[in-house]
Amino acid sequence: MEWPRKIVSLLKANDIASISFVPDTVIGRILKAAEKDPYFRFTTLAREEEGIGIITGEYLGGRRGVLMMQGAGLGNCVNALASLAIPYQIPFLMLISQRGELGEFNACHIVMGKALRRILESLGIQHYSVNREEELETVLGGAIKTAYTSEQPVAVILTTALVGWKDEK
Amino acid sequence: MINRLKATRYLVEQLSDEPIIASCGNPKFDLFTAAEKRKANFYMWNSMGMASSIGLGLAVARPDRKVIVLDGDGAILMNLNSLTTEASKAPANLVHIIWDNAQYQITGGQPTHTDGKADIEAIARGAGFKLALTVSTFAAFKKVLSKILFQPGPWILVAKTDSSDAPGRPPKSPVVIKNRFMEALREA
Repeated sequence: MEWPRKIVSLLKANDIASISFVPDTVIGRILKAAEKDPYFRFTTLAREEEGIGIITGEYLGGRRGVLMMQGAGLGNCVNALASLAIPYQIPFLMLISQRGELGEFNACHIVMGKALRRILESLGIQHYSVNREEELETVLGGAIKTAYTSEQPVAVILTTALVGWKDEK
Repeated sequence: MINRLKATRYLVEQLSDEPIIASCGNPKFDLFTAAEKRKANFYMWNSMGMASSIGLGLAVARPDRKVIVLDGDGAILMNLNSLTTEASKAPANLVHIIWDNAQYQITGGQPTHTDGKADIEAIARGAGFKLALTVSTFAAFKKVLSKILFQPGPWILVAKTDSSDAPGRPPKSPVVIKNRFMEALREA
């Protein structure tokens, strides 16, 4: 099974029906794999921070959500994570596609790429990276379980090693 | 001008156990002062601007319940994009009330942009809301409430209020707030 389909099947296996997202090309591949299944509901976000609020509201109402975004989007989420999701103990998965690492052509992605994990660590958010398809079940499945056990947001980073890089000269 | 605490008290009297999301700043003080014992109140101590998004998520997750958001002008101005998301998702059970006193009251009354040219009802319409209203008297507030609490939305109600202070202070523990609120939702 290809990684987008594997991710979608792991979300479903963990009762995560609600997908809130700001797309990039990587997230787009996951959305494409999910859209065929009527199990999933989608919310297009205008800004990633909204997703923290929406998923909080869904959780309060008894529904599990995932936030899908590019690493850049984490920068837009910091205060909502720090002052809503973490202190109110709202568990959910953040699925982050990483830019600014291997093979990056765009200088304006490098700094957030380098800062990504350190921002998560500063906030005390557990994070895991997936480099190979065969790690998905353990890392993504395990991270989801840990999020709901700890009642905290947890991040899974999809690295360039897994998803490839944008081939622009 | 509407007295915000009086309007909050009146609103709560019209409700049974519908969930209310109260923004950080003064909306949460008014709500706690008006209805301290009410379990279905969610008090936000920070994350300014997120009330609209929390309300949207809850309204979508619980289409069986009317969901009320008590927002402020300063807060919604910080998350204006959420109006486009609300209007696009358009849950019929969402009632989004924005107390507009044209100032950042809690930090000393510095004017917001609604003190100048910004018109939240017009912004909401531009974002895609078909049902958006502004009221500036208590009589008009009462009249509009009798409609928006019972007819399908989503509704935006901008209520022009004064800047009186409510004395009540909700619990400080976010987890206590969350657990009480979720328990109320499960029971309903």
